[in-house]
Amino acid sequence: MNISFLKSKTIILVVFFLVTACFLVQAEEKDIFTVALTGKYPPFSFYSQEGKLVGFDVDVADKIADYLDHELKIVTTEWDGILAGLLAKKYDAIVGSMAITPQRKKSVDFSLPYYESGAQLFIHKKDKGEFTNIKDLKGQSVGVGIGETYQHYLEDNYPEINVVTYKSTVDIFQDMLNRRIKGFVTDRLVGFYQIKKADTPFMATGRLLYRERIAIPILKERKALLAKINNALIAMKKKGELTEINKKWFGQESKSNRKEKKMKTAIIAEKLLQGFGITLFVAFSSIIMGFLLSIPFGVILNKRKIYPLYLVVRTFNDFIRGTPLLIQLFFIYFGAPQVGIMLTPISAAIFTLTVNASAYMAEVIRSGLMSVDPGQKLAGKALGLTNFSIFRFIVWPQAFRIALPPLMNAVVALMKDTALIAMISVGEVIRQAQSIISVTYNPMKYYFIAAIMFFIVTFPLMKIAGRIERKIKKKGFANA
Amino acid sequence: MLKIKDLTYSYSQGATALIDISMGLPREHILAILGRSGSGKTTLLKCIGRFLTLQKGDITLDGESIYKMERKKLRHLIGIVFQQLYLFPHLTILENMCLAPVKVLKRNESSAKKEAKEMLNKLGIKNLADRYPSQISGGQAQRAAIARALIMKPQYLLLDEPTSALDLNTSKELGEWLLELKAETTFVVVTHDVLFTKNIANSGFLLSEGKLKTKGNMKHIVDILGLGDYQR
Ligand SMILES: Nc1ncnc2c1ncn2[C@@H]1O[C@H](COP(=O)(O)OP(=O)(O)OP(=O)(O)O)[C@@H](O)[C@H]1O
Ligand SMILES: [Mg+2]
Repeated sequence: MNISFLKSKTIILVVFFLVTACFLVQAEEKDIFTVALTGKYPPFSFYSQEGKLVGFDVDVADKIADYLDHELKIVTTEWDGILAGLLAKKYDAIVGSMAITPQRKKSVDFSLPYYESGAQLFIHKKDKGEFTNIKDLKGQSVGVGIGETYQHYLEDNYPEINVVTYKSTVDIFQDMLNRRIKGFVTDRLVGFYQIKKADTPFMATGRLLYRERIAIPILKERKALLAKINNALIAMKKKGELTEINKKWFGQESKSNRKEKKMKTAIIAEKLLQGFGITLFVAFSSIIMGFLLSIPFGVILNKRKIYPLYLVVRTFNDFIRGTPLLIQLFFIYFGAPQVGIMLTPISAAIFTLTVNASAYMAEVIRSGLMSVDPGQKLAGKALGLTNFSIFRFIVWPQAFRIALPPLMNAVVALMKDTALIAMISVGEVIRQAQSIISVTYNPMKYYFIAAIMFFIVTFPLMKIAGRIERKIKKKGFANA
Repeated sequence: MLKIKDLTYSYSQGATALIDISMGLPREHILAILGRSGSGKTTLLKCIGRFLTLQKGDITLDGESIYKMERKKLRHLIGIVFQQLYLFPHLTILENMCLAPVKVLKRNESSAKKEAKEMLNKLGIKNLADRYPSQISGGQAQRAAIARALIMKPQYLLLDEPTSALDLNTSKELGEWLLELKAETTFVVVTHDVLFTKNIANSGFLLSEGKLKTKGNMKHIVDILGLGDYQR
């Protein structure tokens, strides 16, 4: 019984090529103005029904790039890591509706404000008479976007309120409807826009909690860029371009924007499939590279003879398996640029998952190698085979067959772990689902579809693992 | 001639297993190394097979120390079949036999296969060719393991307790089978089974508590031992 996928070196080669390619693509070009925003903050940044990134912030960034005479490149990233990304020099600026705060001013410079708004409390219409201002919500749960200024404001000023943090407005709305939270605080403009768009029974209550000035953060050492952006903003204000953009998104919206609740099915399907393609690419390249790495690791782990090397691999493996993958992802993605290595989200994801896969698979391979009778080696030696031949033709084939079912399980686990890479802005299937949900407000449906997509791949893998296991048991050679 | 000179071996944790052994093993068809359990037979065989690092003494083949011999040459001259056989469970008997010719002697696969088949034919076990080790009996496995060693055409083939897993009839058959093959290879049978070696061995060596107690023709050995004491 040949395990043909192992032997097809072509697949491995192709994957290596693709991975090398995506490491190369990241080389930065000079005249590009790279800007970050979340893409999940309508109407400032979100995906239109055509699946295009649009919004107030996008238009502002676009105009600024015109003034700078640079090509605009937009990176979408999670809000809670967006400043870390700027500090890690992943982009030149954030045009993502970020408010100026003394805290943030410590680490970055801010441009002139490009709009002003404020923090507003919203409640469910059912609670209309009950909560007339923020003080009435003492002892209740109130939602905010994670890392947003509203969170710290509430925590500092209303410690009796239970502040619940969310990744996106979609999640906040869902929990408002579920009545898990009684109110939420967000930008006044955004709040009105979204309530109308999602057609949800929420309303503003009380006065603005405070005013906010929204500006563009830039690294402190990039004074020249700051000056240029400020000049651009001044010019935009003078020429009325800012007002124009404002009108476009907050003027007489409702009619044309109503439709946005519905996204074309074709676009949804395309986004999901594209996302799933990325998921599969990331998963299988890390699985294959992780597997190749895990063989020498497994051999070292099985041989305490070369003690220092054993100790290094042992410790490294334990560390990888004993710490959350999410932290490893953040560590690589945000940390690598600080030591001068610029990684695209996909290469950071593949790198981290490869290391992770190799650690888990190495353990499986170690125990596979361990269960091969040492006498097999003696017999190989007696026949005059070299150590390499003994490993390659006698020990490895037996160890591999024993290790195959648990390896398959590791593959399934890794497949599922790719869901986490959405957190570092890889446009895989979960992230695509999130962006669809931010328009359609239907989390159940699209998360379920994403789950099914995973299952279509993992189910056969689990079946194959089971079949191999039964086959091996039947032959019973491992204990012969 | 395979010569053992002043060989002493002790395991790192444990008593000395071999003490001052000197003996010559001529190319003389079938030789027996006898002794009670724990007398050092397997240790001696592992020394001759270069599986242990000698602490004192030397083993030479036609004057050349086997411990200084090139790997390929040594394994070509001296073959070993361990008590547990260690057939490769993931390979058929034919594949078990072809591995060394192809990987060590660099023969091409089809000619190795052809030769292995001829050998199986000659040994009268060609029906085992395509079976896996888990699919054959103990006696058949013993023969298959001998066949796997014989295909390297060694001048000496060491067999550790070849009858330990066989019933009386099967060991008798194995003995007859070895007699048919002894022209090309000198078999060194390491065993506590005097009965088995009595009729097939030309001469024997008797180990006792790590020392060579006596040597001579089988009649001499049997006279000293008596059959009963060493019978299973
Ligand atoms: N790996 C080992 N480590 C320590 N002591 C050992 C080891 N192998 C064998 N011995 C000891 O060396 C002595 C000789 O053992 P050996 O296996 O050579 O005996 P034997 O004659 O082959 O016995 P049997 O007929 O039971 O196979 C015994 O006292 C045994 O306990
Ligand atoms: Mg023994």
